[in-house]
Amino acid sequence: MTRAECTLAEQRAGAIALGEASDGERESYRRHLTGCARCLLELGGEREIERIMTTVARARDDERWEPDLRPVFARRAVRRSLWAWAGALAAVIVLVAAWRVAEAPRPVPVHTISALETRSIAALGTQTAARREGRAESLVLGAKLLTASLSVSVDGRGKPVRCSIVKSSGSLALDESICRAALHPHTP
Amino acid sequence: MDATRAAHDSAAIARARAEALVIEYQTKLARYVRRMVGDAEAALDLTQEVFLSAYRMLQAEPTRELHAGWLYRAATNAGISFLRRKKIVRMLPLDREIDRASWRVDERSAASVDLQNALARLAPEQSAALLLTSYAGYSSAEAAAILGTTADAVRQRVCRAMRILRNIMKEGVE
Repeated sequence: MTRAECTLAEQRAGAIALGEASDGERESYRRHLTGCARCLLELGGEREIERIMTTVARARDDERWEPDLRPVFARRAVRRSLWAWAGALAAVIVLVAAWRVAEAPRPVPVHTISALETRSIAALGTQTAARREGRAESLVLGAKLLTASLSVSVDGRGKPVRCSIVKSSGSLALDESICRAALHPHTP
Repeated sequence: MDATRAAHDSAAIARARAEALVIEYQTKLARYVRRMVGDAEAALDLTQEVFLSAYRMLQAEPTRELHAGWLYRAATNAGISFLRRKKIVRMLPLDREIDRASWRVDERSAASVDLQNALARLAPEQSAALLLTSYAGYSSAEAAAILGTTADAVRQRVCRAMRILRNIMKEGVE
């Protein structure tokens, strides 16, 4: 017998076991067994198949286990729901924290001035001089969006005593004007 | 307000439908899974997971049709995954020893023990084929649809499961 014929016989034996075999399939299985000692030995005839399947049916009928999953299911569903709420709450907290960080005051340019407005530069000097420490400030200068950084040192009374350009605006004259305004804020 | 009420109603419908599924299928499904994995505790966990999956699905889509076949397919996949994980953890060939504590005294008949011994020696897909047909009552074509294979393949798996069971019954007699 070929392997394919034995495979077909296995399928027919399965059909017989499940009560799905037609008369033709049963007859074909019987014919196969008469010529295949191996299948006869391993699978057995129709009555043997029915005997085995009776064992399966008996085992099924013996079962008495009747678990009640409803309380457990309800608890787990509620627990999952609580976890979902906790997750949502955590997400809200994170979002609020992120928003507060984003909204926190950021360093901004001391002033935005027109490059040619000396008065504004003087006002800038006023703001800078009020700080009691030497530090660089970034400036946006007018519509040209020039930037410059300067360091202004102040004495113990807050009076600006020294100015140095950390990053030039690109115009020496403008750099000097800025420093002059920072050191002498009230000079027009 | 209407949207909130609609969401609430949908959740209530999903919950009611999931509970109806639990009531109708919990015993059959838990028994099926217990036979497959040979462990009552694991069977309970896996069966709960199946119902929770159904519940989540119904929450997302309250009008969706969920047939018993869906539950059995999910349970079969859960059982197969469980057995594969167990096999990997143990680093041993598939060996599903019977957890005797999982079976009540009145269930430990010769037939029950023989069947469980046979299932322990079968590949999970073969166990599933035998259990879906002879235990859950599906035809080979229906079981094939659940397992994603052909009816002939299911019949062949049933035959191979039967052969193992036959050998075990012979060993018991000898």
